[in-house]
Amino acid sequence: MPNVRVTIDGVEAAVPANITVLEAAKIAGVEIPTLCDHPAIEPIGACRICLVEIEKQRTLQPACTFPVFEGMVAHTRSEKAVEARQFILNLLFSERNHFCMFCQMSGSCELQDLAYEYELDHWQFDRPMPKFAVDASRVFFVMDHNRCILCRRCIRVCDELVGNGTLGLKNRGAESMITADLDVPFGESSCVSCGTCLQVCPTGALMDRASAYMGATAEIQRVKSRCMACPIGCGVELIVRDNRVIRVEGDWDAEPNKGLLCEIGRFHPLHEMRNRVHKPLVRVNGEWTAVALDEALALAAEELAKAGDDVATIASGFVTVEEGQQLAQSPGLKYLMHPTAEQASTAQLADLDDADLFIVVDTDMAEDYQVAGFAIKRGVRQRGARLLLVGEGEDGAAAGGLAEWAMRRYSAAEAASAVAIAGEAQMPVFVAGPEGAALAAKLAGQVAKAKLLSLAPGGNGRGLQQAGFLQAFAGEKAALYHVVAGELANVAPELLQQLAQGGKVIVMASFREPWDEVADIILPMPTTFEKSGTTVNADGQVAQVVAGVKTRAATTAEIIAGLVK
Amino acid sequence: MAKITLCTDWLDVCSGCHMSLLDMDELLVAVLEKVQLLSSPITDLKHPPEEGVDIGILTGAVSNDHQEHVARRMRERCRILISMGDCAVFGGICTMRNFFDTEEVLRYSYVETDSTAPGQQVPRSPEIAKLFPKVKSVRDIVKVDVHLPGCPPPAHVIAYVLTELAAGREPKLTEDLLTYD
Repeated sequence: MPNVRVTIDGVEAAVPANITVLEAAKIAGVEIPTLCDHPAIEPIGACRICLVEIEKQRTLQPACTFPVFEGMVAHTRSEKAVEARQFILNLLFSERNHFCMFCQMSGSCELQDLAYEYELDHWQFDRPMPKFAVDASRVFFVMDHNRCILCRRCIRVCDELVGNGTLGLKNRGAESMITADLDVPFGESSCVSCGTCLQVCPTGALMDRASAYMGATAEIQRVKSRCMACPIGCGVELIVRDNRVIRVEGDWDAEPNKGLLCEIGRFHPLHEMRNRVHKPLVRVNGEWTAVALDEALALAAEELAKAGDDVATIASGFVTVEEGQQLAQSPGLKYLMHPTAEQASTAQLADLDDADLFIVVDTDMAEDYQVAGFAIKRGVRQRGARLLLVGEGEDGAAAGGLAEWAMRRYSAAEAASAVAIAGEAQMPVFVAGPEGAALAAKLAGQVAKAKLLSLAPGGNGRGLQQAGFLQAFAGEKAALYHVVAGELANVAPELLQQLAQGGKVIVMASFREPWDEVADIILPMPTTFEKSGTTVNADGQVAQVVAGVKTRAATTAEIIAGLVK
Repeated sequence: MAKITLCTDWLDVCSGCHMSLLDMDELLVAVLEKVQLLSSPITDLKHPPEEGVDIGILTGAVSNDHQEHVARRMRERCRILISMGDCAVFGGICTMRNFFDTEEVLRYSYVETDSTAPGQQVPRSPEIAKLFPKVKSVRDIVKVDVHLPGCPPPAHVIAYVLTELAAGREPKLTEDLLTYD
């Protein structure tokens, strides 16, 4: 692409010819205020805050959508442009309820920041003060239409990034309202509660129940870390105030998620209802009793000594590489709690954004590996990629959650049809969890251009494999089971049954449940928010988990050291 | 140099803005060297003198006919009128009742709240001010010269505005001095 010469606020720059004035201004180092624009999504020029004066243009033009041209001279802070922005802010403030003093976003609000910057000391226009309902039908966050400025960021991220297309707009003009599906309450809609809309909302229209009023921008710190709940390994930003994580946001700069998170990564840790293990717990006459750490460690070490080499150490995906390496020094056999990826991947997660055909085999990508599921959905919605579901069961597959995005659904017996379609695609990617891995690999083997993305649950599964946890636990008998769980919530019932069938059970866990059903000793363990270490995702990408908060509790390393002397 | 004179009054308000005025701490001494406070709701003299005053400050929204009278009287008697606080400038939290019918508001406040004793009636004495159907900001009623938003405006910003006016300059609320909460 050839360059064009532009002058923005007197700064000359040579910029690519196919970019907008806003992008050119960034290159020239000139800041233009924006409100509806967001770097992760396509600009639509809805709010007009970025209006700039461009010579030879009859009227002011929105910088976020207006293309540059050879010899363009733009003035972003001219009197005319500044007056226009003040006028627009006055219109925005006049429309709905934008009183800051009882809004949870005050101090973190982009609309408020702009009003300060443009020195709005009063509002010029009468306000009709329409009264809109607040939609609190979703579990984790609330929509207050009264705070909405109709920037449509939420609609666009839901469509462009998540590929869910839940949100839309009804009515026209001042009556416009953000709606879900065909105007149903948000909680009853196709919303998957990934919270991306919440993360991009510039005002207080979307309110996080956990962190509302808990801290404004000046009062919080942002700590970049990783989610360990599944092998996608999304980059997160922990929003921390007073040594407490109040909210989790997706890290826009992180691969592979690029700012997205799922419900589990964003909300579940902040809505944890299980009982925290603060002190070690031992069973005394069938009752759980809290004991001092030394005492619990002595009891556990005694049991370990008795069991000798007949120990099975079972680690969940919440165990970091470092914790795994230390555990690998202990006697006995090492197991992963979760199934492993039986087949080697030939695709990376990023390939999902290039594929023109997805063949998901026996896996529900709306339930597991959700952020990878979003990549598939947005591929279908945005790029015209096609999705085939292959799998058993009456509903076509365990892959039911993506059914609405699928072109066809085949049973395993009909898989030849999927292979035929894949043969004609430019970049077919087969995607499967452990259940579908064998079939997916077999089908991919029949298509020359096919790639295979083989996923397995357990956030740090690959890191643990590198640390020596080579195989998945399948009910092997041992005199003692040493379960290292972290904050794992969804524990397979089979595992609990196997643990209940004999042998002593020592569990290291952040929360009592469900381990108190089967354990003899429960030792405390920090959550991902509280520890630092390394995790390896499905791509083999090595990433750092960084503690957002400090605790006085014993670290996993100290406890393991106490157990294995 | 002669001091400039100041009168303040409050309308539909929580009185927090006047608390902020008093919250100037030692700045108050410096301000009072340049400003003579003639009347305010927190002094013995409550009403601005008929012969006029340099600066008038109104805090609070305008919710009834009495407050409209107070606002107009201040406007008539002062040279420069400051509308101070979110309620005066924007209508503020008082405008919450604009979502409801006035009779509904009165009935709820005097009859239906959980803390109201049974048998209470909405007071209808002609001596009581009449609520307007909608709460208004001060600039909806009278011309305002200086807008000073904030809930409340920080004490140092109030001091800045008064000091600038005393020096004969027009105060300019830049980004660092503006607050809406």
